[in-house]
Order: sequence, then structure tokens, then C-alpha cells
Amino acid sequence: MYILKRIILLFTFSLTMCTAVAQYYSGEHTFDGENKNEASVSLTTGKNIITGPCVGNTLHYKHYFNDHWSIDGGTNLQYTKQLYGFKAKGEYHIKVKSFHMFASGEYLFNHYHRFNTNENVANMSVRFERGYWDITLGGSLINYSMMGDHYTEPLTLTFGAHASLRPRTHRWNVGLLFRNYDDFYYENWNINWGLDFYYTIKPSWKLFGEFNIRPAGSMSQLASKYETTGKVGLIYRWK
Amino acid sequence: MEITMKKSIAYTIMAAMALVAANISFTSCEKVSPQGVLIGNTSVDDRVMQSLVNFSSIEVAWDKYLPDTTQEYSFLVGSDSHITIDPGRLEEMLEIGMEHGDLFYCHLGDLADTKVEYYNNTEKAIRNATEKWMNKYLEPVLADDGEVYADTALYYDPRTQNIYTKNKYNIFPNSIPFYPVVGNHDITHNGWALFSRIFKTSFYEFTIRIVCENDTAYDRFIFLDSANGTLGNYQIDEIENGFFQRDKKEIRNTFTFTHTNIFRPSMNEFASTYCREELYYILDKLADWNTTIAFWGHVHAWDERWFGGVHHITMPSMNFVDHPNGGDNLLVRVTVKKNGDAIVEPVGLHCKQRSKEELESQGYWAEKL
Repeated sequence: MYILKRIILLFTFSLTMCTAVAQYYSGEHTFDGENKNEASVSLTTGKNIITGPCVGNTLHYKHYFNDHWSIDGGTNLQYTKQLYGFKAKGEYHIKVKSFHMFASGEYLFNHYHRFNTNENVANMSVRFERGYWDITLGGSLINYSMMGDHYTEPLTLTFGAHASLRPRTHRWNVGLLFRNYDDFYYENWNINWGLDFYYTIKPSWKLFGEFNIRPAGSMSQLASKYETTGKVGLIYRWK
Repeated sequence: MEITMKKSIAYTIMAAMALVAANISFTSCEKVSPQGVLIGNTSVDDRVMQSLVNFSSIEVAWDKYLPDTTQEYSFLVGSDSHITIDPGRLEEMLEIGMEHGDLFYCHLGDLADTKVEYYNNTEKAIRNATEKWMNKYLEPVLADDGEVYADTALYYDPRTQNIYTKNKYNIFPNSIPFYPVVGNHDITHNGWALFSRIFKTSFYEFTIRIVCENDTAYDRFIFLDSANGTLGNYQIDEIENGFFQRDKKEIRNTFTFTHTNIFRPSMNEFASTYCREELYYILDKLADWNTTIAFWGHVHAWDERWFGGVHHITMPSMNFVDHPNGGDNLLVRVTVKKNGDAIVEPVGLHCKQRSKEELESQGYWAEKL
């Protein structure tokens, strides 16, 4: 009965909670005390309603100043979507009792060439992390400009959750994600679902990947599939 | 012990989320929301496919109904009526249009909350208005013996100089020229079956021919299905394949109507739920069509702005829950002048919800009141 109650509670929680997860397997780890630099490259393929099949690359670099402070930069090149973007992020990490807490600020720029649209996003988030799961809450300000006009959407909630099969320190891992953003976009109430994994090839090399379903609409709109993507990449760490 | 507890939490989360993921992956190709996983519904592609079949059979009739005009004309727009038991606000909208002489009505979705009884009351309100509308605009043609026989009577429309049988007139989406789009509340609990029985189509267009001094032009009215927060593959394919340009008409004004909003009036209302690329696609497409006014619903709040050369109006709701005492701007009337200028003015709705006795005496289902 106890287990059943827990399953029901967690199932409900996983469906309704307003939280979020970051992309751990693409570079957001705590400082290991040794390697201060981290770079990753990935290949993304998929299909969506507007552009049809899509393929692209992402590149990331992260630098840890110490156990608390880090900076992160990345670029996104989606060739068939004709979507090009970059981002910069700063993060502060602190351990609070048994949690790791990360507070971050991010700026993201996207150019949707097909629609001649530029998008600027500012995001601030707080992430709480334990060995097997993490949640993130935050807010995004999204501005876009096209056809000589621009519009800034009112503050949008950033949320999501992530659960891992193995502890974070394990050599390999598989996780499930639930969030309203990805590496290079922040949505409103469109909630992504997906599966991700990593495998440590050598201490300094990791293989990572992600399968992501991006719906249109939300909740009572009985969301329809907008996009499915698969991503696979490599992370390299050095001193 | 602590490690065991962590594992059990992790495994139960994983099991729950894997169950959802399995549902998503293996039981449905289209429905991926938590609610969509649990409740089977039509997809936008299903509805658009069905709409295109129905539209091809009613398109000719619509063309016959809509009169050529050399004069200015007007139409009324309302949104989110969420009719449950009392369709009073819809009745009031239809009455106001008839009193003013509006050419037609548009509705931006969430017409009725999905329950058979609610749709029966909605349909009854439209049937009642249709009778009034026919009495106002059509002249019964007398049979040879000077009588009018209800089943076989002919009706003459002096505005279009067409003659209709009553049955033939009913092949219009709902008899009275009332043009709705489907909203998210119209599709829950298999609501599309109820909606489409009355209104037939969620993706369509029509034009009004404007007879000018030396030439003719057309005003185009485009109705898009965005109830799922996306236009979907088929609708976008149809748009890209030139569904709205297939007749090569010279378009003077384009007006678009759809449910899901682009612009968010304030933090208190829901944000747009189009994915970002689709949002930009739609804004780009509206500019391509040289749209005069784009109407949006869904968020139950007024918003008016100009973006990319398009006048965007997000409509407030017209239902009793949000506005029990009514309001002065729950509808808008668009008057298109002879020179093509489109003038927008607010129109109020003020009727109060009726009692069970009043509704039942007028033939409505009102058991729950």
C-alpha cells in the first residue's frame, strides 16, 4: 500500500509539477575539482510540422572558475530549419544540506532565417539537485522582432524535472525529462517529454544523447506532436 | 537505508514517467500531452481532412448566399461563449446582428463546453435565430394555390436574387450565416463529433465580391483550426499548396479567424501555445496574405495591437462565468466601408443568465439548474 501510494503521488507529481531540468548530459555538471574546462559537440536530427526533416549541430564550452562559479557558451546551427543561435550563461553553485543548488542567468539569441525573425531571451533559473533527480524553476523574458516590429512576451515560467536511473556519479546513466525548454529555446506552456543518457568512455570523454518530443499546445488543448528530435554528442573535459 | 530510499524514489519516478512515455510512444502518434495521453481525441489533421471533404460540398452554397455588394457591409465577431445550459449570450449576439443588419457572424471558438445537452441547447438557439433570420430576409414564394407549405416551400432572397427550399438552405453550415472556428474546449471529450455535426468544418474560407465602378474585388475571410495549439501538417500543407489562392481573385481585404492566441494581454492570461517557429510562421503568413485584421480568442481578454502591418485583435470571452453582468465590449462589429476601410467598434452584451423555469419554458434542457 505504501509503495502504491508513493507511485500514485509521484505519478501525479510527474504529470503536474511546475518544475524543470537542465541539460545535464550536455555539460552542466558540478566542478569535479580537477578539470576546469569542458567542451561538447552534438548532432541533432528530427522532424517538425513547419520545416519537415531537420538536421543541425550544437557546440558548447564551459569553464569552472572554482566549485561555485562557472560560465557557459554555446552555438546552435540548424541547417534545414535555417535557425542559428548562440547563448551565454553564468552559474553559481552552492551545497545546501543534501541538495546542490544552482542559480543561473542566461542570454539566448536565435535568428529564424526562414521568417527573418530575431529572438532574444533572458532567463533566470534556480535548480535543485540530488543524486537521482532535480527540479528547476525560473522565468524567461522573450522578445522577437520581425517585419520591422517587435514584441516582448510577459514573463513566462520556466519549469521542468528530470529523474535518473543511476546516481550522477555513475559511469552511465539514463534519465527521463519533462520541461518547457531545451538547449536553445524557451517555450511557454508547451511541455517537452524525453529520454536522455550518457556513457563515460574514458575519464575525460563522455558520449551523451537525448530523444525529445516537443508538443504544440498544452493541457486542455490536447497537445499534438510538433517536433521529435534525437541528439547524440561527445563531451571532453580537461584541466 | 538512505540509499535504498533514494533508489525507491528514483525507480517509482522512472516507472511512472516510463508509463507515460510508453503511452506516448506506442499508443498514440499524435497525442502527447498528459491529458491527451489519457483521453482519446481527434487531432487537428483528422479535423482538417474531414473539413476539406465537407467544405467542398458546401462551398458552392456559400458562394450563392453571399451577395455581391456595392455598399458597405458589416459583420459581428464574438469568442469563447462556453455555453453550458443557457445559450443566452449567443442568442443576444444573433439578435443584435439581425437588428443592425450585419451580413454574417464569426465566432472564435470554445462555443460550447462539450456535453451533448449543451450542444443541443446551442443548436436550438441557432435554429430559433435561423427562423427569425429567414423571416427577416427571405420572402416565401407562394405555391400555385396561393398557400405556403412548410415542407416544400420556396424562399426568395432579394439580396442575392436566389431561390431556396428550406431544406436546401439548411446545407449552409448552420442555416444562419454563422461562421465559427473550433476551440480547445470544443474538442475535449470527443466534442468534435458534436461540433462537426452542426458546423461541418473547422478550416474554410469564403469571399465577398465587391462590385466597383470599373472592376470587381473581393474581401476574403479565412478560418483556421488552431484548437490543438498548432495548425498541424495537413492544414499547413493546404496553406502552402495555395488553398487560399486557388481562385486567383483580386483580394482587397483579408480577415482571419482562429482560436489560439499569439499575443498575451498580460501575465494573468495564458501565453501562446504555438511552438516558436510556428508562431513566427503564422505571423509571417498573415503578412503574406496582406491581412487587414487577424482575430484571436482563447485567453478571454482584450488585446489590440498592430504587428507587421496587421491589425491583431484578441477578443474577450462572452460567457456568463467571466461576465455575469455582461460588458460593453464583449463583441466587435467590423464595418467595411465602400472604399475598403475596415472600422472596428465594440458591441455590448448584457443579458443575465436565465432561471431553470425560464429555460424550460422556452424548450431548453435545464435539468442541472
